[in-house]
Amino acid sequence: MTTVPVPSAALTVGRQGNYAGAVSRLAAFAADVGASWGLYTLGVALLNAALKLVSGHSFTLSNHQLPAFIVLTLWEFLYFTYQWAVSGKTLGMAILGLQVVTREGAPISGRQAVFRTVGLGLTLLTAGIGFLGIVYQRDRRALNDFIAGTAVVYDWDARAARLRWIARKEGPAGIPPPQERRV
Amino acid sequence: MSPNPIGNRVEQLAQSLAEHIVPMIVDAIDIDSIIDKVDVEKIIERVDVDEIVERVDVQKIIERVDVQKIIERVDINAIVNQIDIDSLVEQTELGSIIARSTTGILTEVLDVIRAQGVGLDDFILRWGNRLIGRGKKVRKWPKGPPLLVAPQAVTSI
Repeated sequence: MTTVPVPSAALTVGRQGNYAGAVSRLAAFAADVGASWGLYTLGVALLNAALKLVSGHSFTLSNHQLPAFIVLTLWEFLYFTYQWAVSGKTLGMAILGLQVVTREGAPISGRQAVFRTVGLGLTLLTAGIGFLGIVYQRDRRALNDFIAGTAVVYDWDARAARLRWIARKEGPAGIPPPQERRV
Repeated sequence: MSPNPIGNRVEQLAQSLAEHIVPMIVDAIDIDSIIDKVDVEKIIERVDVDEIVERVDVQKIIERVDVQKIIERVDINAIVNQIDIDSLVEQTELGSIIARSTTGILTEVLDVIRAQGVGLDDFILRWGNRLIGRGKKVRKWPKGPPLLVAPQAVTSI
């Protein structure tokens, strides 16, 4: 049984579809950077192994900085664009329970996914200023959201999570857990 | 016809009198005031409901009831909304069933991370805007996109 206290209903129930805040989005982005970097590293290692097996020569992509940079950029572009286009969420966003939607709340198109990824690159170039809209803008939209016409919302089933929390508790005072009750 | 001609005429006279007088009497009677004088409670007390019920063929009545139509008229969503599911889960074994069927370590970790994230999101939004003097304005901001949240809803932060 968990010792984590049940969070207030305000933090869970009814938050689905609400604009997501800065911390959740930053954590999701960090998870995505980690995941995409890990997958890239794994892919490069597999490529190296395959080339060595076929040609007998060792090839290390990191020794060729410009091609490595281009491949990494393309990979990051594909990683974000594909996932946003297919499901509106990346791996990190799925972990944090977030989803990208249009300004009105509908699923985004592939075109918007492309614009959002390009916009993400531009937002990163602003050294963080482009992300201030998440805190100071009424729709909690960053620069890349403005470019793509999107917004980010909470998508996790908070109601079910709350019920799980309550269910995990030992039970109300005076009532032992079911397995300890006399049949 | 009566064999007595006098009796016959008296009978006709009485009938025509009755035809004129009865409607006049009926019009003159104030039924409401009579009803007011009647002690309905006393009448009800004298009624043997059990006996009436015994005479009623409940089975036949049930057969005539269109249950489907009644169900269609009932707003089940409204009833469900009235149920306090939190306490239902807490007070019954339903909770342990849910826990056994849906809870894994990963789910638990995700629930915690997400709830903590929401709490920190609110904190940053509240304090970030308070620092620039917009703390009250934030409360009027929309909770989410129009298709996902009710338009009248405003953020409770």
